[in-house]
Amino acid sequence: MAKFLFIYREPTVSRAKPSPEEMQALQQAWYAWMQKFSSAIVPGGDGLKHSGRVVKAGLVTDGPYVEAKEIVVSFAIIQAADYDAAVAIARECPPGHTIEIREFAGYA
Amino acid sequence: MSEPRELVEHFFRHESGRLVAVLTRSLGVRRLELAEDVVQAALMQALQTWSRRGVPEDAAGWLYRTARNLAIDALRREQTHVLALPRLAGEAERASPPPEASFADEIGDEPLRLLFVRCHEAVPAESRVALALKTLCGFSTAEVARALLTTDANVQKRIERARDRLRELDVDFDTPAAAQLGARLDAVLAVIYLLFSQGCHVTHGDMPIRRDLCDEARRLAWMLATHSVGDVPAVHALLALMCFHAARFNARVDLDGAIVLLEEQDRSAWNWSDVREGMAWLARSAAGDELTRYHVEAGIAWEHCRAPTFADTDWRRIAELYDTLERIAPSPLHSLNRAVAEAYLHGPQAALDRLAAVPKEVVPTRYPGWHVVLGELHFRLGQHAAAAHAWQEALRLTTARADQEFLRRRLESTV
Repeated sequence: MAKFLFIYREPTVSRAKPSPEEMQALQQAWYAWMQKFSSAIVPGGDGLKHSGRVVKAGLVTDGPYVEAKEIVVSFAIIQAADYDAAVAIARECPPGHTIEIREFAGYA
Repeated sequence: MSEPRELVEHFFRHESGRLVAVLTRSLGVRRLELAEDVVQAALMQALQTWSRRGVPEDAAGWLYRTARNLAIDALRREQTHVLALPRLAGEAERASPPPEASFADEIGDEPLRLLFVRCHEAVPAESRVALALKTLCGFSTAEVARALLTTDANVQKRIERARDRLRELDVDFDTPAAAQLGARLDAVLAVIYLLFSQGCHVTHGDMPIRRDLCDEARRLAWMLATHSVGDVPAVHALLALMCFHAARFNARVDLDGAIVLLEEQDRSAWNWSDVREGMAWLARSAAGDELTRYHVEAGIAWEHCRAPTFADTDWRRIAELYDTLERIAPSPLHSLNRAVAEAYLHGPQAALDRLAAVPKEVVPTRYPGWHVVLGELHFRLGQHAAAAHAWQEALRLTTARADQEFLRRRLESTV
């Protein structure tokens, strides 16, 4: 079994605020997704707060990237046989994100 | 941890309305926007946390604590509106929303009280209803737009106007006096009625009827009737109207979730205890000499309940009632229903003539029901192409699954 990092990105320009109804539907969809793939999901994934720090050449700025069109909002670690299997799991995520999938190199 | 319980349908919608109401009581109506923002943020947190860990046992309490803490944070950052801080902080030890307490003349029910505050007479009438539906009933902007037969942009504008006005008025911690309550009653009734109608005829999604919205509307009206301000014929009539409609809910949806037309409903499946309750309210509503639109609409609903079979429906009486309704509360929807009665009395062509006579500028072109009826009338005249055209338009406009299913079936019959 290989491990994959799912990197979820969202547009920085906030879309129209979802209604309570829509949020409840999303909550339930995500919960269902996590239940369905609970054996593939490695504990440790989390959401990320929207502000942070960027250290570049010794210089610290507020991040992530103010000018970026999308920012990383959360990540998950998924166990899957190969990329196809990982993509199949990503496809079943509730919509609203761009998901980048990267296989662990296994150095650590 | 025990197995997290499932969220009941529309839990977020209910809780957001209730939380905004409870928080506004502490924050003041002028800070309505803050209340809405923190409730939205609390729901967002719930979305993220509950997705991972499941729904906590005390979901409502969790939301309340989160929203309250966010409000305290926001106020601390501002440091200008210190007035509300002690109120919130005093409640901070509480784990759940404070119980609703009141003085004798005050309206004890928090959602109902807030409804009266929102319906301030200085806020333009059209804005009051939009604001109340959005903030107290948890409607999305699109749902408000559909309920009021207007556009999203228009609703947005109305809501902003209402908020600006409330802020200018500085109606913080407003407890309307009895006289003001009376002046606001009309707008409050309009909101309750729209809430009920939206529940009766859902305009999007899977469920053809939302019992919870209808139940909440009935509860609000019932609470109103127990208060001296609301113990008046108009409220009794609205209650009668809602009872008669609710009585038919079970028969209105078939096993596949599709809408069953009145004509084909199994009348024995109607809820007769609702009908009886409606009759009692209708009798009480007859006191006094005020004739409201709710009286007339209750009368129409009663006519339908009264007929032992569809063929026994007294269309002449119903047509008369719609004539009255058009006079006291002009609306293209009443003209539409009057035309339906006309079709049963004098045939589909007479009904089409009536619809053609409705001034172009008031025809609700975005309302799917208009096209549904138009299609049905053409169909009965054998004008299948015109019927298909109208039904296609209706299908384009409707987002409710049950209605789409119904229209697809009707469209098949035109081929």
